[in-house]
Amino acid sequence: MTSSTAAPIVSGAGINFSFGVGELRKQILFDVEFAIQPGEVVLLMGPSGSGKTTLLTLIAGLRTLQAGQLNVLGHSLAGASRAELLALRRKIGFIFQAHNLLPYLTALQNVQMMFDLHPEVSPAEGRERAVRILEQVGLGERMLYYISKLSGGQRQRVAVARALVCNPEIVLADEPTAALDGASGREVVNLLQSLAREHQRPILMVTHDARVVDIADRIITMQDGRLINDLQATENLTRMSGIHA
Amino acid sequence: MSQRIPLAWLQLRHEKMKLFAAVSGVMVSVVLMWMQLGLLQALFASAIEFHGAVNGELVVIHGQYEYLLRNQPFSSRLLHRILGSPAVQEVYPIYTQPLEWKNPWTGQLRTIQCYGIDTDKPAINLPQLAQQLSLLQHTDAFLYDRKARPGYGPVLEEFARGVTIEPEINRRKMTLVGLTNLGASFGVDGNIIVSHANFLRLVSERTAGHIDFGVIRLKPGADVNELQAQFQAILGTEVDILTRAEFCERELEYWRRATPIGIVFTTGTFVGFFIGFIVVYQILYTDVTTHLPHFATMKAMGFTDGYLFRMVLTQSIHLAFLGFVPGTLIAGLLYTGLRSATLLPLQLEFSRGLFLLAATILMCTISGTLALRKLRTADPADVF
Repeated sequence: MTSSTAAPIVSGAGINFSFGVGELRKQILFDVEFAIQPGEVVLLMGPSGSGKTTLLTLIAGLRTLQAGQLNVLGHSLAGASRAELLALRRKIGFIFQAHNLLPYLTALQNVQMMFDLHPEVSPAEGRERAVRILEQVGLGERMLYYISKLSGGQRQRVAVARALVCNPEIVLADEPTAALDGASGREVVNLLQSLAREHQRPILMVTHDARVVDIADRIITMQDGRLINDLQATENLTRMSGIHA
Repeated sequence: MSQRIPLAWLQLRHEKMKLFAAVSGVMVSVVLMWMQLGLLQALFASAIEFHGAVNGELVVIHGQYEYLLRNQPFSSRLLHRILGSPAVQEVYPIYTQPLEWKNPWTGQLRTIQCYGIDTDKPAINLPQLAQQLSLLQHTDAFLYDRKARPGYGPVLEEFARGVTIEPEINRRKMTLVGLTNLGASFGVDGNIIVSHANFLRLVSERTAGHIDFGVIRLKPGADVNELQAQFQAILGTEVDILTRAEFCERELEYWRRATPIGIVFTTGTFVGFFIGFIVVYQILYTDVTTHLPHFATMKAMGFTDGYLFRMVLTQSIHLAFLGFVPGTLIAGLLYTGLRSATLLPLQLEFSRGLFLLAATILMCTISGTLALRKLRTADPADVF
């Protein structure tokens, strides 16, 4: 189902990326090539410093591409303008390692504010959609709570709702379970997966968490800035756990 | 900004103590600016209370007139030259001179400004003066200034109780017959009004033919500026003939030039502005710094720099209004207190209020704009 003939939603080739200049220059990514198909849930795994997060920020249009080709949601990122990167980011649902919710807003307001990026949605409709998605993530009772009054798992569920409420074309998640205990992490990942599946939305998730590999359609593994493995999850899960043990 | 959720306000009020500090800062600044500008304006207004009240469109003064307390009398015969003009309704000669008042209760000497006027014509436009003019016809009668500063004794209280007040003025025993309102100013602590005859009795060195001001009341519909020029030509160069507004302006000109009052209070106003500016800048700067990760998150999610800038500027405008309202109320209370303590004509004037509101918004917006420079350091790539 994933190795379809449809055009990939994200595709990259020959991506090199370095931080610093001159003597201090340090190359992070080496000749990375990959693709994500529509509707696919892809995990990006690998040890710390392997370049996963840097690759994620490149896909998200948060860093300037230095070399290679990268196409995301129909935008070619080589030489893209700031305005174009901004337009791209508005089509992406972001989930961060720490929930990154605004502490001065309630759960509902945190979700609802995303519609400020989409003026075509009326305030009433925005509110309605925010309420609905918070009910879907099981926070119908706690919508009016401030973030400080919610548990870690609940916060990350608000973050999931915020990422999905505006119907993004792809969800980028950076270790969404890192700050959570096993059960809460599981719950968040399940939610994310079911919501994304429901709307046929692809997910690219950077994770260390071997406990969640079962949600993946495909797992990309990186090491020292190189892509060392790109496996269909169905191929061999045992082999996977071997690599990440 | 299509604000569905008032993010700026919600962020601002999230930390109550910080909001309170910021609003207090703006408030103190607003109070300071009101006080400085109010005192400046009141001091100037008090200096021309007499000038503004003369009962005519034109005023003849000596060509070397400097200010109320340093004046040179001129011959009243000059005025006869224009009495024949068909446009002139009346001419009122006024004498004035600072005199020595001996406090009847303590014996202390104090200067008081004395005006000598016709008792059959109201040369000065003051409430209840016209009705009391006949009282002034008695020998040694005078009207006392209700708005005089304390120091002349408990005149008002005793007079209200029906006690006969007979102070020595320029070593002459005078009798208080009524009250008027003229008001204290920089140079004058209080005023009395007497008849021409009593004035000349009080001030033996002055002679009847030499007056201080000639107030000209024109017939309705007369062209003031044309007559001014015409009369100036008739009267010659010894005297100046001024409109009432010019008369006030001539007096103010002296106070502006001769005293640092304008500079002092204008500087004070700037100090107030600066205090508010610094406080608001500090608060907004630390606020932006505290919320930098949140701003970075919003940038990453696709919010534009412009959106975030408007957020911070909206916050500065919120602070401006939140500080301006209580600041103005406090200034109003202080004005009331100072009015009774100093007898200066302090007023919360609407136009000055608008000016100060604009200044406050400007102050907060400049602070906000400077705090925005910090916002640029929010790097959305740091959120991962």
